Amino acid sequence: MAMTTEGNSAQRPTSSRFTIEAKSPFMLQVRAWWPPVLWSIVLLIIVAIIMLAGGPVLQKTLTDALIKLLVVVGLYVFIGNSGILSFGHIGFMMIGAYGAAWMTCCPRTKKLFIPGLPEYLQTHQFPFLVSVVVSGLLAAVVALISGSVLMRLSGIAASIGTFAFLMVMYSFYLRWDPWTRGASTMTGLPVETNSWVMLPFIVVVMFGAFLYARSRYGLSAKASRDDEVASKAAGVNVVGQRLLSFVISAFIVGMAGALFGHFLGILTVDSFGLPLTFITLSMLVVGGMQSLSGAVLGSIVISALFEALRQLEVGFNVGESVIALPGGGREVGIGILMLIILIFRRNGLTANQEIYWPFRGDAAAKTAMSRKS
Amino acid sequence: MLKRKTDSRAAQGHRDDGLTLQAVDVTVRFGGLTAVDTVNETLHRGEILGVIGPNGAGKTTFVNALTGFQEPTSGQVKLGQKVISGLSPHWIRRHGVSRSFQAGRLFRDLPVSENVEVAGVSMGLSRRRAHRHAMELIEWIGLKEKARQPAGVLPYTDERRVGIARALAMQPAFVLLDEPAAGMSDLECDDIMRLVKEIPERFGCGVLLIEHNMRVIMGVCERIHVLDSGKTLSRGTPAEVQKDPAVIQAYLGHG
Ligand SMILES: Nc1ncnc2c1ncn2[C@@H]1O[C@H](COP(=O)(O)OP(=O)(O)OP(=O)(O)O)[C@@H](O)[C@H]1O
Ligand SMILES: [Mg+2]
Repeated sequence: MAMTTEGNSAQRPTSSRFTIEAKSPFMLQVRAWWPPVLWSIVLLIIVAIIMLAGGPVLQKTLTDALIKLLVVVGLYVFIGNSGILSFGHIGFMMIGAYGAAWMTCCPRTKKLFIPGLPEYLQTHQFPFLVSVVVSGLLAAVVALISGSVLMRLSGIAASIGTFAFLMVMYSFYLRWDPWTRGASTMTGLPVETNSWVMLPFIVVVMFGAFLYARSRYGLSAKASRDDEVASKAAGVNVVGQRLLSFVISAFIVGMAGALFGHFLGILTVDSFGLPLTFITLSMLVVGGMQSLSGAVLGSIVISALFEALRQLEVGFNVGESVIALPGGGREVGIGILMLIILIFRRNGLTANQEIYWPFRGDAAAKTAMSRKS
Repeated sequence: MLKRKTDSRAAQGHRDDGLTLQAVDVTVRFGGLTAVDTVNETLHRGEILGVIGPNGAGKTTFVNALTGFQEPTSGQVKLGQKVISGLSPHWIRRHGVSRSFQAGRLFRDLPVSENVEVAGVSMGLSRRRAHRHAMELIEWIGLKEKARQPAGVLPYTDERRVGIARALAMQPAFVLLDEPAAGMSDLECDDIMRLVKEIPERFGCGVLLIEHNMRVIMGVCERIHVLDSGKTLSRGTPAEVQKDPAVIQAYLGHG
């Protein structure tokens, strides 16, 4: 009972003493879209501070964290709305990353390293933005094909299906030498991604994810998440709605993969395996799987913690001696944190809720906002 | 009121009088167990048909067969002239045959209003229109003040009402209610039955009502179909069925 009351955002007392009357049309929009607006502002501040005041290592760490954040938002679109845990999305990230390499490496590199590419790709080089979007689309197409089989499964069977998908893609890319250089490193992607570049992608994707979750498609998917049988009885085409969220989320994760490729400039298949799968999933779980706010908050918290523990592993001086966390302490620390959060907040830090407009205001706007889940 | 306001797309095709939902020799077997055994029935629009029978008689299985949740082992289900057995549940729902569940089965994390709204959006309404439609139904079941609460926190009786509202969204031609008053006190029972009684006139649908409580069934149904061990035991008006020695025997026999 306590848990279910907690889940009722409409009834929760507003936490702020401030009142901002949202009367102008602009403010009403801001209020209605508050979760992505809020997180855009938060991320802008974080990026601004670190890009202006942080060292180069920290800046790289931030970009890496933002790429993971984009992956986690993509995961949320599928997992949060359909309720199916996916272990396969890092496969879409890999598809996006290699897609970017096929499109943007210089023709000489391609001829040398990946001679299997068709003539047209071999001789052409595409701009960064085209590469990111088309790589996302490539991942979406693969999701459409694989999903039309996988989405017929439910619950744990579907999750295991996505895991099998990851294994298949991983092994395939590892042996697909003429296109991927197999186990060797693919080099020569133009380095374009930094935190400032990540920010607009993340902002657009957050708004898109929020729009989807509130749309009739999102509502249908959430109904099938809560009770698959009952949703069919309400006319929901469960397979179709799941497939839609699968494809949208693969598109996002595919773009994140391309951005990742343009961040490092080099690619290896083994960076798209289980470790990345688990770290991104744990970000989503810690934040709260069923809300955009959970996806974003979880990514920020885990990335920050990961960085803090890394610093501890390096060690710091206390008088004469150096105090340092033993190697591998990071993973242990994250694991313990996850356990604590899951024990005390089963639905993640956000309790699966969005973080809504905290300032009291006119009742009409509040009604307009809170009627949507 | 509600009837006229709803979307034309929903009502389309369901208006023609004489539309029937027909079970022809419907049989459902689970391994060696025959849960429904060559049952025939025709449900017309505007009537309330009671389906009664002891526990395990096959009532729910029969409803599952009519709504696409269980493909009949043999026999057919027809909506008008069209054979619908074997089609998917969501297709059948969209074409006017709706149901509620014995266990309620609300979308627990969604607000009450969205529980009903789902049916609207899945049949092509925008969220705004689906919401308006849902609110009309929620007002009818008397839960307007609770519309924004998550369905998971509702008391049992309210849960049942929402289940009925969800089943009635988008003007189905037939609505099949599986024990909507199970486990309720007499008073709460009467409340639900008042709602059920209003359905044919207000929404123009045919109602199939599964119910254990004989008093309730006798009060609202024009026709009754008695199942026992999957077989039709008796059919007729409440008065006829009540007098049927086979029915008396079955009910006394089962205690
Ligand atoms: N999916 C299934 N697999 C196997 N047996 C089933 C299945 N569903 C129902 N049965 C069996 O079929 C018979 C009829 O069940 P059904 O649920 O239709 O009865 P009912 O009349 O609805 O009973 P109640 O009044 O308890 O709801 C029971 O013996 C039940 O155990
Ligand atoms: Mg039953």
